[in-house]
Amino acid sequence: MKINTWFGVLETGRTGEILESRLLSKDIRVLALHSLSLRDSRSDLPPERFDPKAAALECGFVASSAEYYSLLHEVTLEAAKHQVSSALTPDQRIIQAVEALDDINETTNSLSERLSEWYGGYFPESGLGGEDLALFIVKYGSRENVGSEDPLHSKARASMGAKLEPADEALLIGFAESVCSLYERRRQIEVYIENSMELIAPNLKLIAGPMLGARLISLAGSLEKLAGFPSSTIQVIGASKALFKHLRSRAPSPKHGIIYSHPLINTAPWWVRGKIARAVASKLSLAARIDFYSGERDHSLPEKLETKVLQIKTLNPRPPQKKQESGAKLKKKRRK
Amino acid sequence: MPEVKKLSDGVFEVIKDKKQLATRNLDPGETVYGEKLIPVEGIEYRTWDPRRSKLGAMILKKFHIPLKENSKVLYLGAASGTTVSHVSDIVSEGAVYAVEFAPRSMRDLIGLASRRKNLHPILADAGKPDSYSHLVEPVDLIFQDVAQPNQAEIAARNAIRFLKKDGHLLLSIKARSIDTAANPREIFKEEVRKLEQAFEPGFEILNAKDLVPYQEDHLGVLAKFKK
Repeated sequence: MKINTWFGVLETGRTGEILESRLLSKDIRVLALHSLSLRDSRSDLPPERFDPKAAALECGFVASSAEYYSLLHEVTLEAAKHQVSSALTPDQRIIQAVEALDDINETTNSLSERLSEWYGGYFPESGLGGEDLALFIVKYGSRENVGSEDPLHSKARASMGAKLEPADEALLIGFAESVCSLYERRRQIEVYIENSMELIAPNLKLIAGPMLGARLISLAGSLEKLAGFPSSTIQVIGASKALFKHLRSRAPSPKHGIIYSHPLINTAPWWVRGKIARAVASKLSLAARIDFYSGERDHSLPEKLETKVLQIKTLNPRPPQKKQESGAKLKKKRRK
Repeated sequence: MPEVKKLSDGVFEVIKDKKQLATRNLDPGETVYGEKLIPVEGIEYRTWDPRRSKLGAMILKKFHIPLKENSKVLYLGAASGTTVSHVSDIVSEGAVYAVEFAPRSMRDLIGLASRRKNLHPILADAGKPDSYSHLVEPVDLIFQDVAQPNQAEIAARNAIRFLKKDGHLLLSIKARSIDTAANPREIFKEEVRKLEQAFEPGFEILNAKDLVPYQEDHLGVLAKFKK
């Protein structure tokens, strides 16, 4: 009987005695790569309760039990390190980028709110917010510096805002610079996600758009997992709270998760939204599978989806008849 | 001076202000997850938080832990190594084969394993024991904490392959990962039945208790092969 072990191939007799052995050298790297190559091997597996340590001692691969464990330790560590370093696939990078984008959005919003609150004391009439305000502050600092060519010039002159002292001005300009650079970083990440999606999931990008596609991959955990999901799961990704409420109690089932941000769904009239969500989800799952398994671009997918959506809309031109007054009222509440 | 009481081989109760579960630190001076180090008469004890470790919770729920200094352990679902580090402390002269599937957790586990000679990390799916059968020797204990819907089946597959005839299986069953909606009690009953009957020769259940108040909706099971 032939047996594969991490230190070599053994040929054993009927009672388990070792007849022949082809041992590898005690090079950690060689042994680790060999061990990794055996992961998916279905042939010559060791029998149940096979003792590789006893075999290693018997065939003379190691001289002592202590040597066996110390070698095994080095080899498993090396193999695991190798696996971890190859685990960062392109879809994992997209996931990191999506999560970074969410963090940046959150931070930028609260920081620019702070900035507008703060600067509002000095120039409340500016009417600017977000990035525009940050750029304005970086450019001028105090409203006294607004030149006559700027459309805000007259407002700045007549402002009821307090006078901005030099120390405060320096602080605010620095703060505004940070906010500007966050907006800049956000654009950079968005471009990165768009380019990466084009490379690793072109069909998904075609159907969902780069951001929704990237979010789907992120919530699924990987493109492989997304490709493995049934379309009914894709339909409710991101609505787990509603889904489990539905499974546990008598709550209605969610019609859509994050795919709600898809323009075909959020612009549809409410009575066909569920149906359209189902159609979109099915095409998304097809797209993810094509991307993961073949990588070829299928231009007919968006067209088929459009046709399907149009068909749904023509078949359901009007909202369904209300059955009971009370029931209908309840439904309306849930939709909000 | 803190008082030390031995609960079982390698497992101690250190009384300093309050009673605390602890093991002897195999890697003196180092903490793994922010636990306390308490030196007593030249030996460093590492406290063990039962709220962060199902094995720790099982010990406090009076489970017999069949581990000795030289035991061999197959640990399925090693995660970042919180509990694994204590098992490594206990079997100081033995070996721990720590199987974990997530590369993210493996990153932490590798850091831990590089400081502990008796810890052998394996990045693999515990549901596919064939993929690491070329590495693992027959073991005295399989500890499993994998949070998968087919937990009982995974335990059986690994036990048939790697568990010595008189070895033990320690299992933490998470009700929520089998069915989020059903009643945990019903799930536990069903899982125990699976362990007893679903394969040859089946397990004999030695102890089965929930892990309240340390863990929610978890059942601890100690079992061995039927004679």
